[in-house]
Amino acid sequence: MSKGKISLKIKLASMFILILSTLLVGCSNTNNRESTSKGGHDNMLTIAWPRDVGEMNPHVYNPSQLFAQSMVYEPLVSYQAGGKIKPNLAKSWEISEDGKVYTFHLREGVKFSDGTDFNAEIVKKNFDTILNNAELHSWLGFITKVSQTEVVDKNTFKLTLTEPYYPTIQELAVVRPVRFLGEAGFPKDGDTSKGIVKPVGTGPWILEKYKADEYAIYKRNENYWGELPKLEKIKVKVIPDAETRVLAFEKGDLDMIYGEGVISLDTFKQLKSTGKYETSVSEPIATRQLVMNTKTEQLSDERVRQALHYGFNRDAMVEGVTSGLEEKADHILPTNLPYTKDVDITSVGYDVEKAKTLLDKAGWKLPKGKTVREKDGKLLEVELMYDSAESIQKAMAETLQSEWAAIGVKLNIVGVELADQVQRFKDNKFDINFFSNYGAPYDPHTFLNIVASKGFGFNEAISAYPNKDELIKQMVKVPQTTDEKERQQLYSSILKSLQDQGAIIPVSYIKKTAIYQKNVTNFNFPANRDENPFTGISIKQ
Amino acid sequence: MGNYILKRIMSIIPVFLLAALLTTGMIHLSPVDPAEAYLTAAHIQPTDEILAQKRHEFGLDQPFFIQYVKSIMKICQLDFGISYVSNKPVWNEVIYRIPATVQLAIASILIAVFVSVPLGFLAGVKKGSVIDHFSRLLSFFGASIPTFWLGYILVFFFSVKLNLFPVEGIGTWQHLVLPSITLALPLIAMYTRLLRASVLENLQQPYVLFARTRGLKEKTIMTKHVLRIAISPMITGLGMNLGKLLTGTIIVESVFSWPGFGRYFIEAIFNRDIPVIQCYVLIAASLFILSNLIVDIVQMYVDPRISRKEGQHR
Repeated sequence: MSKGKISLKIKLASMFILILSTLLVGCSNTNNRESTSKGGHDNMLTIAWPRDVGEMNPHVYNPSQLFAQSMVYEPLVSYQAGGKIKPNLAKSWEISEDGKVYTFHLREGVKFSDGTDFNAEIVKKNFDTILNNAELHSWLGFITKVSQTEVVDKNTFKLTLTEPYYPTIQELAVVRPVRFLGEAGFPKDGDTSKGIVKPVGTGPWILEKYKADEYAIYKRNENYWGELPKLEKIKVKVIPDAETRVLAFEKGDLDMIYGEGVISLDTFKQLKSTGKYETSVSEPIATRQLVMNTKTEQLSDERVRQALHYGFNRDAMVEGVTSGLEEKADHILPTNLPYTKDVDITSVGYDVEKAKTLLDKAGWKLPKGKTVREKDGKLLEVELMYDSAESIQKAMAETLQSEWAAIGVKLNIVGVELADQVQRFKDNKFDINFFSNYGAPYDPHTFLNIVASKGFGFNEAISAYPNKDELIKQMVKVPQTTDEKERQQLYSSILKSLQDQGAIIPVSYIKKTAIYQKNVTNFNFPANRDENPFTGISIKQ
Repeated sequence: MGNYILKRIMSIIPVFLLAALLTTGMIHLSPVDPAEAYLTAAHIQPTDEILAQKRHEFGLDQPFFIQYVKSIMKICQLDFGISYVSNKPVWNEVIYRIPATVQLAIASILIAVFVSVPLGFLAGVKKGSVIDHFSRLLSFFGASIPTFWLGYILVFFFSVKLNLFPVEGIGTWQHLVLPSITLALPLIAMYTRLLRASVLENLQQPYVLFARTRGLKEKTIMTKHVLRIAISPMITGLGMNLGKLLTGTIIVESVFSWPGFGRYFIEAIFNRDIPVIQCYVLIAASLFILSNLIVDIVQMYVDPRISRKEGQHR
């Protein structure tokens, strides 16, 4: 190679290096600037959320995110740990003897973020708007039972129902649709179901800046009537990908990642093990259940259902699959919900021999030399449907497949999309399905409601129960009872019967996880599953 | 040539009709009722009344043919309906997100062209040299590394470890670097290989020998003749990839939280947001057609033999 060529190459190479290094220096300078501005922390908490926070309309559902709605809008009453209902925008309330009339005494001096007064007039206006779209909200039991809304005086609001419905007070604590929008937020025709003018609420946070699909910044509402948040701002970055969320957190761009399934349990455990971050795991928020369709021949026999229950090691499965972040469940509803503590269930442990005996008794015998039990020439074969996007369900399904194979049951596992899973459950096209209840403040009454109603999958799941009709009658009666003691008795007996007959097997208690930087303090999970956890949090400067 | 272009543009119409038919049919083929999917996504318990109301609102209670005709008529007015999820016009939502995707696509194409043209050309001219080996290695990696994985690796090293670029988001040019490199690498792999093969093939052609005997400088032969002709298959590849790029951005946009059209589409799939999916399919179809058309025109310009061939046919 000639000298000229070599020198040309050297020149080219050095130019390339020069350009590259200039670029890199340029980048690092900008980044330094970014981190400096971050260093002078403006008391802002940055979190990531998989989806855009939405348009912050308190009266509709998608795409607004529940936690964000709960930052801006407030309910009359709020749900606290153990199912206690505490005053919020209503400082007190009375319920008539017959359980039909609810009179709310509103908190005085509460202002919307635009300075207007919160009073009975605006409460009625919100209620009436919601009731104009009652079909949309009919899933919330009390909405279909409202007969009248009245302004008694400036600070007193009266709600009359057509029949007694005790969960009304609990349902008023949900995040949507019964929270209050200020007058300035209403469109001209007053119909908020098509959109709002601007998000005006009474809550501790005000939406300050919003860029769809990118971020939303909330600032503290300095005129908030309640305890003022310690943080000045909260930035919610939209990061749809779980791995990216973790990388951004590790880089320090995020102060906190929290929620249900926002990062995988493995990642959570791995980050925790580094010791660099603080972590927190919530109380049970729901129970992961296996629901069996007792309309299928095999599962119509209670002995078969019980055998399946005895035939797998729940402790080991939950520990193994969820790395100990979920807890083995003994009850079909977590016992931190109202009326769920005093349910005297028959405890079912891991007992392979008992499972085998039960199957033998049910007539499913294991022919010599074969691995699957048979009865009248039919194989003991069942199908388990799981959400293919949920790694926990998949791993549990695989575990069950091998566990039940040991007792001679052939389990076929089918992964489907979530929307498909819901549809097939409803249409009764399943043998066994994964399900989890709704959590606080919806349960236990919502769970009983869907078990009692047709078209949710449960009504059919318990169709082989000999006392099914009686159970359903009781479930319909529960919300109408005004007597607290009777209500508790009904709940205890219904939940016991549902569980003891084995069509619903509790597997584990689902929990929320949170991981945050060491300078974030006072993090607590809210008792209401959908509420935001920002009250009380502070950042050490 | 004008007739030819007109003919090509007209061919968009049947493709449109077919795409609209497919997307309308999709609703009926899917095992999941969109009204139900909407309610599930919104955490609403689907009672019969809400389902009926939503189906009526979405026009799903009408016969298939009516739904099809209505959707065609609407598309002609650029009305893709209202998103089931956001309750806002799909077209407005799409228009809002397209610039981000276009920005990403252009940056990736530029990177791909700036890297692959010199690399592929030199690899072809200097077959067996270090640069040739390097180009083959790069092509091998570019073609075989999954895009999302490459994205994570780049973020891990350049953002988390070296703190050179932001992990995610949009706004500055630094935000653009990692996602566009991620998107460009598979393109670089493909174009480099294409150009290298094409250069090698052209070097065997008699016109190169003729040019050499005419005493033309080697540099002139390579740049003015070989490169100009050899680049033609690469332009075809580039055009074919314009449409593909749109689909490629789906993954990259998700990994880098890039607020573009691809991410919007992914969410629409999960929510069974049919109007958005319909809009995406139609835009993707027209983009494929248009990019092919543009490629043909550019090729006629670059390699006049093609237009002469067209002329001979006519």
